[in-house]
Amino acid sequence: MKNRSLLRFGMAGLVLMAGAQSAWADVTVLGWPGGPEESALRAATDIYNAQESVTEQNKVDLIFFSRDGFFDKLQADLAAGTDAFDVNLLATYSIGRYAAYMDPISLSGEAESVFGDTVLSTMQFDGKQYGVPTDLSLHFMYYRTDLLQALMNDEAAKARYAEISEEYLGKAMEPKNPDDWTWEDFAANALYFTKAVNSESPTRYGTVLQMKNLLFNMMVFHSLPRAYGADWMDESGNITVDSEAYRTALQLFKVLLDAGATPKDSLSYEYAEANAAYASGQVAAMVQWNAAAAELTDAEKSPTVAAVTSTIAPPTGPEGRFTHIHGLGLGLNRNAPNREGAQMFLEWLSTRDAALAYAKAGGAPGLTAETAAAIADERADLVQLGDYASSYGFVMNGATAEKALSVYELQAKEFTGYWAGSQSLDEALAATKAGMAELLK
Amino acid sequence: MRRGRSLENSVLAAPVVLFLLLLLGFPTVLDIIYGFSDVTFETLRNPSFNGLDNFRTVIADDDFWHASWFSLKFGVLTALAECAIGLFLAVYLAPLIRQHPWLLAFLIAPMIVSPAMMGLMYRLVLHEFVGPLPHYLYTWMGDSPAFLSRENVFLTVFTIETLQWTPFALLLLYMAYEAIPLHVREAAAVDGVRPLKRFWYVELPQMLPTLGIAFFIRFIDGFRVFDNIFVLTGSGPGGSTMSLSIYIYEAFFKSGSIGKALAASILLFVTSFLILLLAGRLIRGRAE
Amino acid sequence: MRRRLKTALRWLVFAVAAFVLNFPVLATLVTSLKTNAEISSNPGLWVFKPTLENYAAVLTVSDRLNIFAYLQNSLVAALIGSIVPIVLCFPMAYAIARREYGQRLFFPLVINLRALPLIIFAIPLYMMYRSLGLLDTQLGLGLILAVVNLPLALLVLVNAINDVPLELEEAARMDGAKLGSVLFRIIVPVCRPALLTVFIFGFITAWNEFLFGLMLTTRDAVPMTVGASFFFASGGGGVQWGVAAAVIVVAALPPMLLGMLMYRRIGGSMMAGAIKG
Repeated sequence: MKNRSLLRFGMAGLVLMAGAQSAWADVTVLGWPGGPEESALRAATDIYNAQESVTEQNKVDLIFFSRDGFFDKLQADLAAGTDAFDVNLLATYSIGRYAAYMDPISLSGEAESVFGDTVLSTMQFDGKQYGVPTDLSLHFMYYRTDLLQALMNDEAAKARYAEISEEYLGKAMEPKNPDDWTWEDFAANALYFTKAVNSESPTRYGTVLQMKNLLFNMMVFHSLPRAYGADWMDESGNITVDSEAYRTALQLFKVLLDAGATPKDSLSYEYAEANAAYASGQVAAMVQWNAAAAELTDAEKSPTVAAVTSTIAPPTGPEGRFTHIHGLGLGLNRNAPNREGAQMFLEWLSTRDAALAYAKAGGAPGLTAETAAAIADERADLVQLGDYASSYGFVMNGATAEKALSVYELQAKEFTGYWAGSQSLDEALAATKAGMAELLK
Repeated sequence: MRRGRSLENSVLAAPVVLFLLLLLGFPTVLDIIYGFSDVTFETLRNPSFNGLDNFRTVIADDDFWHASWFSLKFGVLTALAECAIGLFLAVYLAPLIRQHPWLLAFLIAPMIVSPAMMGLMYRLVLHEFVGPLPHYLYTWMGDSPAFLSRENVFLTVFTIETLQWTPFALLLLYMAYEAIPLHVREAAAVDGVRPLKRFWYVELPQMLPTLGIAFFIRFIDGFRVFDNIFVLTGSGPGGSTMSLSIYIYEAFFKSGSIGKALAASILLFVTSFLILLLAGRLIRGRAE
Repeated sequence: MRRRLKTALRWLVFAVAAFVLNFPVLATLVTSLKTNAEISSNPGLWVFKPTLENYAAVLTVSDRLNIFAYLQNSLVAALIGSIVPIVLCFPMAYAIARREYGQRLFFPLVINLRALPLIIFAIPLYMMYRSLGLLDTQLGLGLILAVVNLPLALLVLVNAINDVPLELEEAARMDGAKLGSVLFRIIVPVCRPALLTVFIFGFITAWNEFLFGLMLTTRDAVPMTVGASFFFASGGGGVQWGVAAAVIVVAALPPMLLGMLMYRRIGGSMMAGAIKG
């Protein structure tokens, strides 16, 4: 009796299965789901589809994968030669990996004046343009204006600041305006605002470092060694990761971790954890992705810190001031069923009108100063973004190679191993160098 | 008679065997080819045979052995803890559950949440500033440990896994406990055997096969642990929480070394197959 | 008096166990009712300004985000993925338990599948599914979920059939019953608790499966677990904790309801089994 009902249950399920096939529009575009990138892409697509010159069979339809495992899924799809989409998402750090399954595209004549060379180059591989840049990611330093103000106005605190920097960093320093910070100032500030170091600190931690064994954390980290002149390899292709610059940077992080200047669990922290720590008001300054600005300066979402948080480019070093940059963009699937339609859309997307529409709807394209000026009223942050990208943006030599992602993975594993104390700095660098030589040969 | 039986056996076996052949036949063959080839995502369609190279790479890789050791340790310890706690709760709470079966729903709730989501929630729960656990520890004890530091991370993921999957053991064992024939229990009760003794000498032996099954399943699941750890710590600082599944996943997707990932999988499969085969022999041998 | 004390102690143990085991579930439930601002300012288990905005965000049907479609996909795939293994494994389990047929090779071979990270089948399966037209279908997803559940089903069913007293079966055989009717009239009813358990475990596992759901679907058969992470990535990138928590709660409801419906049957049928035994 009960078996039969179980069986019927199953049959009902099998009948339900006949799901309706949705109508397929003729240019299918795979975008990045859930965030401002999605709303921006939707807005731009609506404008595109409304144009009379776009025929029915060239209208654009958007699809999205889950964010979790997005790139693994994309990798599997592309490698298996999928034709489920014509245009797909592309990122600077994975361009080398996906170029094998994609075709170069041509941009509109305006593209260079809209985006500028630096930004266009984030979508290039082997000298060819593989995508239209849509969004730009780089790092800001987020800091608490109220805390720094109080420190600057307090002579006793300044003296304490000097003592602490003397003890931990070997030289007496004084508080400075964050725009003039070197990485040493960053460290001194982090130590001063740490309860474990300075019992009078108003915050529990001076900074929050993202030290989880995760490739994206290496991107956040490597603006620091870059400021000391680091690179992945030299002109002739020798791996230079065991340089003095990397050593200094890795040791600086270790000093901060060991001194308790970053939360105890930092070795499991990434983007979300760092934001949560900062938003709690217990952190004085941190280096974080520009995307976090929307959340951390919104009084609704971060009531404790929004009003007293300011952003600036990351600190400077002996070799200059740098921020990692990478772009997200859209490129052409080699097996695209509708190549021409896809190419038309991509070309349109690289025009001034499209870029401005995309920006207005919440996207973060890297625009030249002239282009950004056109929407400066609505999106002042894009002016800053474009400015930082062109002034401080860098890409490590080799960071767009086919195995670039694996290099980040390798560094994440070895460097976090050093910070966690499971291996020495020499061991970590030797292993990274050997691994990178293998990956980048 | 004998022939009729073997025909019957074939009929009994046919559905599942055919199903497996249809669904996994081609993937298995292809995977074995990949295991002996130099192959990446770019060369999926034309892998080049390289003999035992992948296997040599894997065997020479310290990380592979670390990951295997981690998985083994994790599997054994979590399975032991889950079965011990599950057994205690199943037997001790049995009178209560018998009267109010809905209590079971509360006890098995944790395993309904997908492990990846559970891992995600623990990122919140354990977070120093937004997590309830550190919050209450700070409020009541004045300090909260670094749950995911290199020293503590094993204990933390062990606890997380145990809390989520003790219900599994509990449910299986409760069923086995309730399935003990009444007359066995009653006979013991009539003889005036004390409850603890009765449990030890009468009931526990009856539950042993299920206890074995529960331990075995939990061991396998602990051994292949992936989602919750991966979400929580990735492979951990310096690879300290890299389970064998994470090792294979990273080789496969993150570094695109498909041959290496498959060689490791084949090694895993063959080893555990041999162990099971031997164990089966031993058990049968003793039975005969 | 003593008896009552004992019962009280049992309730206490139950309460503690339920609280500790469900602590993360509880925390998730609480988080799903907090606003973003409250999550960042109040870590405790008490909600000061409860809100349903996270649920609204999850349950709003937009032009691509159709949570009900995801739920339906998951339901169908999970039903296939939990029923098929039972149907397939039951006869085999009988052959293994009663006749030691396939016990030597087949049994360990299948059990071993559970130890493997099934990711290794992702790429070949993808290719195969593509040529068979199973890609992005509920059937395709359900079938592979059935493979995922096979080992557990076989293991538990073999154990259950082993426990069925031989006398029951022999008595029926004496009366001249055929194998089929022995299976359906004798074994199935006695094994009902085990069958239900396998079904519940299988359904939960299938419902929560992520990897194949991600790899083998694109738009028509996307299951709940994959659809859920349109909102956030559990590894890397931003997490909206409140929305994530609401998604978890919504996704856990169907298996939870199923469990609630089934516990009675488990309880009831077990009693029956015990008396018969």
